[in-house]
Amino acid sequence: MNGNGHDRAIDLLSRRDVEGIADDDSRWLEMHLQECEECASFDRALSGAENALRSFTVMASASLVESTRARVHARAQELRDHEARMVLIGVSFCLGAITSTLTAWVWWKFGGWIAQWLGLPSGVVEPGVLLFWLLPAVVVAVLMATRPPATFEGSLVQRFMKDRLRGMQ
Amino acid sequence: MVAAAFSTLITMETEESQIATGLRRRDPDVLDALIEQYQHRLLRYLAHMTGNRATAEDLFQETWIRVLEKGHQYDGKSRFATWLMTIAHNVAIDHLRKRSPASLDQMRDPEEDIAPFEPVAVGPSPFDQVSASEDMVRIQAALDDLPRIFREVLVLRFQEQLKLEEIAKLVGIPLATVKTRLYRGVMALRPAFMGGAQ
Repeated sequence: MNGNGHDRAIDLLSRRDVEGIADDDSRWLEMHLQECEECASFDRALSGAENALRSFTVMASASLVESTRARVHARAQELRDHEARMVLIGVSFCLGAITSTLTAWVWWKFGGWIAQWLGLPSGVVEPGVLLFWLLPAVVVAVLMATRPPATFEGSLVQRFMKDRLRGMQ
Repeated sequence: MVAAAFSTLITMETEESQIATGLRRRDPDVLDALIEQYQHRLLRYLAHMTGNRATAEDLFQETWIRVLEKGHQYDGKSRFATWLMTIAHNVAIDHLRKRSPASLDQMRDPEEDIAPFEPVAVGPSPFDQVSASEDMVRIQAALDDLPRIFREVLVLRFQEQLKLEEIAKLVGIPLATVKTRLYRGVMALRPAFMGGAQ
């Protein structure tokens, strides 16, 4: 028997039980196994390994499933909250950008009028108007950046675990 | 026959696409149902991967959190079980890497429980039960001694009934390597389940 025959037999044996093999291949394999002790040995080993591995049972406990569900629900809620917050920030940004763009010309003219009325030099007016225009966005950005985000482990899960521990005591 | 196969395919597609939709929406009912359905299979796979039940339980929870977070990436075109096992594989690999960056094959902590899961002996008589139990212990020991890369392929093939191509995709190795690992894994286990005869 040549090496190709062995390779084909091993490939067919590997695929036989899950993927399934064609009838022609099955007939060829049966004939080959009768002639080739090496491949027949692999066939027996394959069946033995399959039976052995299938006989192992690992059962997840009810408490594991329950605590997993609780963690998943808590995380899902946190992700939903995060998404809602991001949508709010996005909408606020868009509204801010639109109103800023629409009112830029008005503020520029208003700044010019104030500067003229107070007699300020143009070198002060231009940065002043720009700062006044950007100031609300800068303040909001600083506030959002400095505010500690709600973390997963520090919020819902810890509360859930504390409640669980209290319930067990 | 063809109609039945087509009907099964349609049912599977519908089921998988329903799961994909539920995961995209982060539907708690869908997640609960999935946890219920795959609890034992997932834990068994992780127990084999880590060799320790307590670690497997931690990774079990971590896997479902990751399923929730990455649920939008599941397109419903492949089997959910395969996608779930891919997530579990990545979670386990991340865990094993954190524990020992040098080797992923020798990850067993000697202080941890060396019998992570309980083999169930199948046999009608007490003699058969004792005999089967001894076989199980021997096979369990052989399985524990097997490098993780071979053990994983055997578990995915014989317990999860995954196709060779699915295993290759899941583990991220060529198909030929899957076949080699399957062959070498089976032959390495052979003395354990044929121990009585040798």
